Amino acid sequence: MLILQRKPGESLVIGENISISVVSIEGGRVRLAISAPQEISILRSELLDATAANRDSAVEEAAPAELLGLLGALPSDKNKQKGEEKP
Amino acid sequence: MTEILKLETKYFGEIECEAKDAICFPAGLFGFEEEHDFLLMPFDGSGGSMLCLQSMTTPALAFVVLDPFSFLPDYAPVLEEAELRQFGVKDAGELGFYVMCALKNPVSESTVNLKCPLVIHPETRQARQVIMGRYEMRHPLAEFGRGEEDASC
Repeated sequence: MLILQRKPGESLVIGENISISVVSIEGGRVRLAISAPQEISILRSELLDATAANRDSAVEEAAPAELLGLLGALPSDKNKQKGEEKP
Repeated sequence: MTEILKLETKYFGEIECEAKDAICFPAGLFGFEEEHDFLLMPFDGSGGSMLCLQSMTTPALAFVVLDPFSFLPDYAPVLEEAELRQFGVKDAGELGFYVMCALKNPVSESTVNLKCPLVIHPETRQARQVIMGRYEMRHPLAEFGRGEEDASC
């Protein structure tokens, strides 16, 4: 893996037509500007993971009723009393 | 004036509902960006903590979702300023949260996505799925019941 350092305002180029520049660094966040051809898809990687997780959830391998059994074995906190703060 | 809709569902057969029952995800769900309208229906026997998020446009598309606070009372979802603003609220406490479950076989290997909760405004019924900085996307559900009756060992 290539690791390199860039300052705000500097950029790098991938291949012939993708360029990424660092816009700013603030509060632990880096702002990037990416210029790439329309057909290149650019996604935050956690979005890909979230999509995969959702697709998994859409195809259940067990019946929901079975899950009820598992949940029944979980400690129940049904007696939590929200909104009943002590004065 | 209220129109009754007949809807084919994945788990409940044909049901009747009203358009106002819909929970609207303007941006859809991750990977299901075209699906905007869902119904949230509790499964019998769950005490309301396990629900079905049924697509109103695709009968075969339904998710099993859980009330995260029912098994993880100190679940503390944090939303970004921009997300709160979109909902028109000041505090995440004003919103409803549900987490998606991935049902596995055996069921004890099922996981919950604590990182990407479904956030629902209780009055407007506008909703969106978010990605938070903390928590896991595939947290084993069985972990919350550790030490309770485990028949397999």
